Amino acid sequence: MISFAARRLAAALVTAWVASIVAFVLFWTVPNVDPAYWLGGGQKGTNETRALATEKYGLDDPLPVQYVRLMESILNGEIECFYSCGSLRDTFVQALPVTISLVLGAGLIAVGVGIGLALICVRHRGRWQDRLISTVATAVYSVPSLVLAALLWAFASYRWGLFPQEGYVRLRDSPWGWAKHLFLPWIASALPFAGAYTQVVRASLLDTVDQDWVRTARAKGLSEKRVIRRHVLRNALIPSVNVWGLDFSHAFGGFVLYVEVIFGLPGVGGLTANTLASFDLPPTVALAIYLAIVVVFFSALVDLVVAWLDPRLRQPGPST
Amino acid sequence: MSRGPWSLALRRLRRDRAALAFGALFALIVVLVLAAPLYANQVAHTTPSENHLTDQVVIDGERTDVLSLEGVPIGPTWQGSYLLGADENGRDLAVRLLYGARTTLIIGGGAVLLTLLLAVPLGLAAGYRGGRTDAVISRLLDLIWSFPALLLGVLLSTAISFSGAQIGPVTIGSGSKLIPLLVIGLVYVPYMTRPLRGQVMALRGQPFVEAARAAGMRPAKLMASELLPHLATTIIVVSALLFVNAVVLEAALTFLGAGVNPPEPSLGVLIAAGLSEVVRSPHLLLVPSIALILIVLSLNGFAEGVRRALDPRGTVSFDLGRGR
Repeated sequence: MISFAARRLAAALVTAWVASIVAFVLFWTVPNVDPAYWLGGGQKGTNETRALATEKYGLDDPLPVQYVRLMESILNGEIECFYSCGSLRDTFVQALPVTISLVLGAGLIAVGVGIGLALICVRHRGRWQDRLISTVATAVYSVPSLVLAALLWAFASYRWGLFPQEGYVRLRDSPWGWAKHLFLPWIASALPFAGAYTQVVRASLLDTVDQDWVRTARAKGLSEKRVIRRHVLRNALIPSVNVWGLDFSHAFGGFVLYVEVIFGLPGVGGLTANTLASFDLPPTVALAIYLAIVVVFFSALVDLVVAWLDPRLRQPGPST
Repeated sequence: MSRGPWSLALRRLRRDRAALAFGALFALIVVLVLAAPLYANQVAHTTPSENHLTDQVVIDGERTDVLSLEGVPIGPTWQGSYLLGADENGRDLAVRLLYGARTTLIIGGGAVLLTLLLAVPLGLAAGYRGGRTDAVISRLLDLIWSFPALLLGVLLSTAISFSGAQIGPVTIGSGSKLIPLLVIGLVYVPYMTRPLRGQVMALRGQPFVEAARAAGMRPAKLMASELLPHLATTIIVVSALLFVNAVVLEAALTFLGAGVNPPEPSLGVLIAAGLSEVVRSPHLLLVPSIALILIVLSLNGFAEGVRRALDPRGTVSFDLGRGR
């Protein structure tokens, strides 16, 4: 397990490093884009501001030197925006708990609802309950989070005033306020995933209930509840856990971007979306790298948890 | 008489009423969207970008302002002009919706074609050649795969719109619709390559492949004529599911300002604009939202039907929630 963990973390570091090079090449050195133009204020800049930016960022130095210097300042949090924004790293670290609350809550709802509904489907397989839930799950999966978030915010928060329109309260300050601010974002992000998970878990459960060992468990005289819980559910969930883990780590660069913008949550998604919209080069590169680190870190963490649950996965050659 | 796998699949699809209903709905949407210029000229008498700030429209014999004195646009009139109401510039929402859905579907379809064009050769090469070719291709695609589609899309698209791009003879300007198409197409390559590579690896050891190799068939020809037909099911199923995701991704990218640029309409543009006007005119948000839901629902329902028909045992793996 320890050697697996070491290998997985090393792979994560390499991925993050390659991502940082890609981000640097993408934004700093694209052909026919002059970083001095964007660093010197874009359209509002003058030749003097551009010369100033060239000197300040050492844009005449060789690229590897520029890369190392940029990465140093990004990791130290010394990134400056043209239109001042304070220390970007501190802002990012402050925003991270908001996003973790959003993703974790949405993930728990999606997985809980998915498993619960799938169990109901399997208990009543082939009957109307099964068909109803399957149909609703497909329908719900077809409502994109973006649309759901926009509609929930516009109607439930803005027009009817049932929930706060924007902002965030820390869990430590007021658990009730925290839940109230996050309730609609959770629902908007979780529902499409819940629909998808219901279908996946249902299919996987149906595969499992017909296995020999399940028949044996029944023949032993175990109660149906115990058969489902101890024998069917455990085995049926293992393939899904991998998918959930990837979805979880990818959520940090997925729905949080627009859900946080729509609900006015001060998290990393909203921060990133606003920075990208301002066309400001250094913070854009910095945020791309910070988010890459978060995604890669959570992917590794999830893989470790999955490997801990299922020892067969500790073989060499991690999937990501 | 024995039936081939294709005619069996077609028969399964024909008997799948739900899939057929969704397919019909999607076909209807495509027809409507293709008829957008016709509708704009003949029924609404306007264009998607034409402002009507001071116009009036006759409803039940009464002349009504398109924009009220406070600038609130008219809601759905359920008649030829302003069928679904107007937006804050007095533009006909129904016309913008048709053109916008057309843009969204073109981007989604184009992106899937681009994915196919790149992913099929890569998957064949990686799976058949194995060894170093496979290692290079797989590592490269794993890098794309390990980052969320939306984040990658937003970053790529921002980088391209900083400068524009030049790919061979094609020049992409910084506000071009080709940017989201290109970006979505690239981001989805590993989603198609992964299942193909796995399948080719399994096929490589089969006797018919060895026979073809022993007969001296060149690798390129072998891949195209011997292996490709076996991949058709996977290609069709994954393409259909990716198309659904591409449509949703366009809306999300555009919403974040990294897709289609307003005033050019797309579903993402209309939803973003509707969200900022939702207090005074909820129809501006409701109409494009319902349109996107209908497109995704019909496409999804049909894609799942195609999957059930072609792959009844569920061997093609594709994570439902991924890639949004």
